[in-house]
Amino acid sequence: MANLTDRIKISDRLAGVAAWLVLQFFRIFEIPLSLIQRIVGVRGMPWIFLLPNLAFFGLFVVIPLCINFAFSFTGGTDLFLSDRIYTGTEQYGFLLDCETFGDPITCREDRFWKGLYNTATFTVFQVTFLVLFSMITALILNREIRGRGFFRAVFFFPVLLSPVVVALIWKWILLRDGIMNAFLVSVGLDKILFFVSPEWSMFWAVFVSIWAHMGFYTLILLAGLQAIPPDLYEAAEMDGTSKERVFWRITLPLLWPNLLVVVVLALIKGVQIFDEVFVLTGGGPGTATQFIVQYIYNTGFTEPVRNFGLASAASIVLGLVLFVLTITQLAATRARDNG
Amino acid sequence: MTEIQLKQIRKSYGNVEVIHGIDLTVNSGEFCVFVGPSGCGKSTLLRIIAGLDDVTSGTVEIDGETVNGVTASERGLAMVFQSYALYPHMSVYKNMAFGLENAKLPKAEIDRKVRDTAELLQITDYLDRKPKALSGGQRQRVAIGRAIVRDPKAFLFDEPLSNLDAELRVTMRKELSALHAKMGDTMIYVTHDQVEALTLADKIVVLQKGRIEQVGPPLDLYNKPQNVFVAGFIGSPRMNLIDATAVAGPEGLTLTAPNLSVFVGKIAGLEAGARCTLGIRPEHVLLNTGGTPDTTCEVIFTEQLGGETYLYCDVEGLPQITIQQVGQLPFVKGQSLELNFARENLHVFDADGQVLVNGLGG
Repeated sequence: MANLTDRIKISDRLAGVAAWLVLQFFRIFEIPLSLIQRIVGVRGMPWIFLLPNLAFFGLFVVIPLCINFAFSFTGGTDLFLSDRIYTGTEQYGFLLDCETFGDPITCREDRFWKGLYNTATFTVFQVTFLVLFSMITALILNREIRGRGFFRAVFFFPVLLSPVVVALIWKWILLRDGIMNAFLVSVGLDKILFFVSPEWSMFWAVFVSIWAHMGFYTLILLAGLQAIPPDLYEAAEMDGTSKERVFWRITLPLLWPNLLVVVVLALIKGVQIFDEVFVLTGGGPGTATQFIVQYIYNTGFTEPVRNFGLASAASIVLGLVLFVLTITQLAATRARDNG
Repeated sequence: MTEIQLKQIRKSYGNVEVIHGIDLTVNSGEFCVFVGPSGCGKSTLLRIIAGLDDVTSGTVEIDGETVNGVTASERGLAMVFQSYALYPHMSVYKNMAFGLENAKLPKAEIDRKVRDTAELLQITDYLDRKPKALSGGQRQRVAIGRAIVRDPKAFLFDEPLSNLDAELRVTMRKELSALHAKMGDTMIYVTHDQVEALTLADKIVVLQKGRIEQVGPPLDLYNKPQNVFVAGFIGSPRMNLIDATAVAGPEGLTLTAPNLSVFVGKIAGLEAGARCTLGIRPEHVLLNTGGTPDTTCEVIFTEQLGGETYLYCDVEGLPQITIQQVGQLPFVKGQSLELNFARENLHVFDADGQVLVNGLGG
């Protein structure tokens, strides 16, 4: 008993010392903060506390955004804005100059439109199957199955990997001398060149992207499924509702807000696709898997003549698309919050 | 009109048995209330009857037919859930019509049934609203309406009033009682609130730890509890229960405890020297009668309810004694009172908690 009391006393004393140290540490800020408060007033203090974050946000988001916007109205290869030639909306005009918008070949900057077309194709397939597979996986993982926790972890693990690592893993599997072909040869089959045809390249880009991101969307849908009160299913059971009708009339409508968020988030991510596909296919064969972000990257940074103005204009166009999608996502989230 | 019979019902989760062989008959048209503390198995029993949970052994019979393997929907019962379990994305009308649509009834018939039921429950004005736009009481009515509209063999209620405030609970209690009187259907109602049980039931089933402690009409349970648990559980404020020893005297037995001596004469099954429990309801404790007091206590706390006064008193060596008196009585803390226990309302239980006598016959 005496030992216990001694121990409590020691821990109390240590806690007291720690509290004193913390207090002294914060006292360092007391003088400058009270000085600032005297200058900006109490109402201005929240802005002082927000300042580090605002500075960071301004430096790495707002200022580049503004510079990018300004660049999109300039031409030439100079890096500094002051050296660049003002061209007005010429870059936008160049990007949007098409005889038929549905056919990239008829556009002056066909690579931009090809990138846009590829991105749209990729996004449609990726989002459709991503949502479908995530939904099926969430529905299965929501049931009382053996090893449910294990499978939930397994499906989520790829989300923890960097996109580049994901692409390298699949490249290692699918390349001409990858393990998939090694396996095929070992069972007496011919090698398959997985990245030779445009269709197969697009298929693998979609497949790998789904594999990498499915866990995240499954998690959102699983959370939505678990938020549906079990009583509703029991009430439906008492009402004599068939399993199909339970899904269509109860599960799906109640999951709809989550599903909407998933679709919009997947759309935004789909439109932004770059790194994993760039590492996996390099945009090839040809420009079959070259997406809009890669077009911007190539135009601005990898080509012999770095066309910053055009890349900036393309970024602004992409930004507008993302803005529309983000607004949709916000509206969807609000709809979910309002039940 | 439906009779429900439970025969040797047992239910286990893994190795833990939660229902230990229950036999019960709920007669046709009866309002039967399962009551008991949390975890006593009352909701499990209701879910077994509903078909939402399987039995480990035993049989459930509805109108003489065993329904063990029959699905919940095919049993023809309707259930009202504690949480109401209304479909939040459907209007009140759709909520009520959903079960009928499943049964593929013609639209005109569905419409007639929904509107008739809505009228019965006075919810016609809310038919187009979503559940979130309704108050707790209105939601509860919709949940009951959803059950009624299906014209079930029997109704099962799982603590349907526990989410309502006290005032609304009283109103809904009356409405449920009136509804049962009007419809005459078999109803099984689960609650942990013994006031609800006493006011609604034709028959109360008191459960504890997965066993039936007593079955009977409300006043039978109140006046003639068969064991200490029922004596303590039924009635508010609860019965005063005092452990005592029977001491033989020239004219019979006296139950004694520290600072307490209650002459009881002869009680069948109680012998001198035996341990027992003496039970007396708060309203049966008499104050300052002028005769020899059974005990003397000190008032430590009073509650004035307007029409009656509750006194909480201490007697050294005994559990706190609650006394209920009609009217507004001006007792003060520390006041000493002489108490007598009305013999005709005195309950005595043996050492195992089983009743020896309910009232000493004046």
